[in-house]
Amino acid sequence: MDLPAPVFELKHVSQQFGQFSALTDISLQIYPGERVALVGSSGAGKSTLLQLLNGTLRSTQGEVWAMGRNLSQLSSKRLRQIQQQIGTIYQQLHLVDNLRVIHNVNAGQLGRWSFLKALTSLIVPLETETAIKALSQVGIAEKVYERTDRLSGGQQQRVAIARVLVQNPIVILADEPIASLDPELSREVMDLLRNLAQQTHRTLIVSLHDVDFARSHCDRIIGLRQGKVLFDAAPHQVSSDLIADLYRLESHR
Amino acid sequence: MTVITPSLKWGLIGLAAIVLSLAQAGLFQQDLFNLNGAPLLWKFIVASVHPDFSPELLQTTFNATLTTLAYAVCGTFFSLILGIIGGVLTSEVWWLSFGQPSRFWLLIRGFLAVPRAIHELIWGLFFVNIWGLDPLTAIVAIAIPFGAITAKVFSEILDETPRQPLLILLNSGFSPLTAFFYSLLPQAFLNLLSYTFYRFECSIRSAAVLGIIGAGGLGYEIFLSLQSLRYEQLWTFFYALFILNGLVDLSSAWLRRQLGCSSRLDLNLQQTKKKQAPKDIVRRRYFLLLPVSLALLALCFWVINPDFSKLWAPRTQQLLGQFVRSALPPDFSEVPRLIPQAIETVSMSVLAIAFSAFGGLLLAFPAANNFFLPGGLLNSNPGKSANLLPQIMLLLSRAILLMCRAIPAPIWALVVLFVMFPGILPGAIALGLHNLGILGRLMAEVIENQDQRPLEALKAQGTPNSLIFLYGVLPLTMPRFVAYSLYRWEVCMRETVIVGLVGAGGLGRSLTEQLSSFDYRSLIVTLGGFLMLTFLVDWVSATARRSLR
Repeated sequence: MDLPAPVFELKHVSQQFGQFSALTDISLQIYPGERVALVGSSGAGKSTLLQLLNGTLRSTQGEVWAMGRNLSQLSSKRLRQIQQQIGTIYQQLHLVDNLRVIHNVNAGQLGRWSFLKALTSLIVPLETETAIKALSQVGIAEKVYERTDRLSGGQQQRVAIARVLVQNPIVILADEPIASLDPELSREVMDLLRNLAQQTHRTLIVSLHDVDFARSHCDRIIGLRQGKVLFDAAPHQVSSDLIADLYRLESHR
Repeated sequence: MTVITPSLKWGLIGLAAIVLSLAQAGLFQQDLFNLNGAPLLWKFIVASVHPDFSPELLQTTFNATLTTLAYAVCGTFFSLILGIIGGVLTSEVWWLSFGQPSRFWLLIRGFLAVPRAIHELIWGLFFVNIWGLDPLTAIVAIAIPFGAITAKVFSEILDETPRQPLLILLNSGFSPLTAFFYSLLPQAFLNLLSYTFYRFECSIRSAAVLGIIGAGGLGYEIFLSLQSLRYEQLWTFFYALFILNGLVDLSSAWLRRQLGCSSRLDLNLQQTKKKQAPKDIVRRRYFLLLPVSLALLALCFWVINPDFSKLWAPRTQQLLGQFVRSALPPDFSEVPRLIPQAIETVSMSVLAIAFSAFGGLLLAFPAANNFFLPGGLLNSNPGKSANLLPQIMLLLSRAILLMCRAIPAPIWALVVLFVMFPGILPGAIALGLHNLGILGRLMAEVIENQDQRPLEALKAQGTPNSLIFLYGVLPLTMPRFVAYSLYRWEVCMRETVIVGLVGAGGLGRSLTEQLSSFDYRSLIVTLGGFLMLTFLVDWVSATARRSLR
């Protein structure tokens, strides 16, 4: 079978923070259109892996390739061009909460805007149709001129997703997007992410605590334990024994 | 669609105030610059590279530095005592725990606004008339206004501390005093301590200012050398003042870090749920704090040896009685002259704060340690640290900020008067320069304590640095900058008095003239007017801060 070129490729990647090694010798490939779940307990290295993929961190060892480029060898300008193709959804804590929603959504396309345009838009919002369209896709079009910190946690999470929609990237990374939401909202947000990825054939990589959502919404699950890949398989291959193994670690540490 | 937001409204009001003040300062019609003084200014600047380091002068400098430090330590000590007593007595929660829901505490709180509104220098001039140039004058002049400010802040901290634990203790039958000591005080302790350190930094600056009325110390020596044009000596004293201020600021910052309270002056602007988890707090040096400060206190009392018996000497009572008798009835004949002076005073404070907010903002970013340095957010070459420019900028901007805030405003005024004609503009520039140093540092701290996550999110999607600044840094930090500037405006208002002393105009000049000519009946009226003005400014500032929250 002839596979297309991978979106991401990690070659023997390790990440150290001082004495602590967050990731050890990770090698994997992620292909266009895949929906990948990263599961594992807190501190297993999920967030670190996502930060390596979007270029926030530079690996201490090994190479991270994104869209055919070695991230650690790019100039900061080239890196920014690659990063514009990678949209990251964090928990709602990553919005500029005293700006109005429109500006937080527009922030998604700052990579394409000139300074002057960005400045003007802070005073008289520009490209409002694009922003409103994105907001209606996540179901909160009426909040467009509200101040972001006046919204509920679930609504702020939607603003973060709308921002990525406006950015229109090839890949969507999501770092525990449902960690602070109730089950009902969690399902809505996960449905939203899955539909976004399916409809436009985008690649989705999402870190999750909840293995059930990983099974129901993704087509590939990577289990991380203490900075190493424990398993990397399709949902039906991930047995409950494997999951138990994944979370058993802290006891014998 | 574009609604007039509170920030737009207040922005326009602020802009209008600045333009009106500039007009009032005569920017558009008068001769402002006196270029004949330029050679003198040049001589003054050149002297900075060859200060006088002769052994005799170094000895004088050392003694003067010790005196200034001692004034500050003793002044802070007494203002702390006054502040604790006043703070507890004017807190709502104290009266609540005694089961008296009366509004008595509000009355005392209002009463405390009077000593707070009067600058240390005016207190100093007043007590000089009673006690002469005794160290006691300087200490009490610091202790009274600072005690009142500390009381206000302490009562606010106490009232904002969660009350649940106190109520639980009260409901289980503890006596109110015990309950207070076992719940509220330990909870609020870190905030109280952090504020005390900040007060001490302010005391050092005030102690230097008080030197100018003859109380001794570095301020006095600087004033003398400036008046007698001995600039080499002047710079020696300046350097001593920089070192003293720098050391106090550094150790205060270090102590606060050790205790885990990062901000020196938290205006409680945002009651967010999103505070980052505090970094692990190191408490092992806690126990050293008490003996060290006690030793410092003892040393300082020994150095200046104030004559406390004067406080209750019959002569003091006699002079105070005389003062009260000669101040009554108030003499209102000067009122028509006061009104233009009041306008001048407000203009001066507006221009001063505009100048210092702008300058502080410019210097705060290079002075913050998490922006342009390697690994900082807006550093464009991560990994490569060959470029030394950010480090140089950091040191340079911090040095400028230190210099600005270490030199007292009246001294800045005298320097500015080398090349400008007396008036409110030089006064505003002098105040602006001094406050710029304080504001810039507070702002740099805001930037350093800023939650980095929204900025990292912008960076991760490939946003260029200039736009991260525009869409992340600026909106996130601006509310705090504005709040600090408004708060500092209140301080500027009070400080207009001290540049009035050297001829910068406004109500300050009248106050000092009336004080030194013993014209107490007019003094009372001027002071009353000044108090009203201060309250007005405080009210506007508080209203603006509330609506910008």
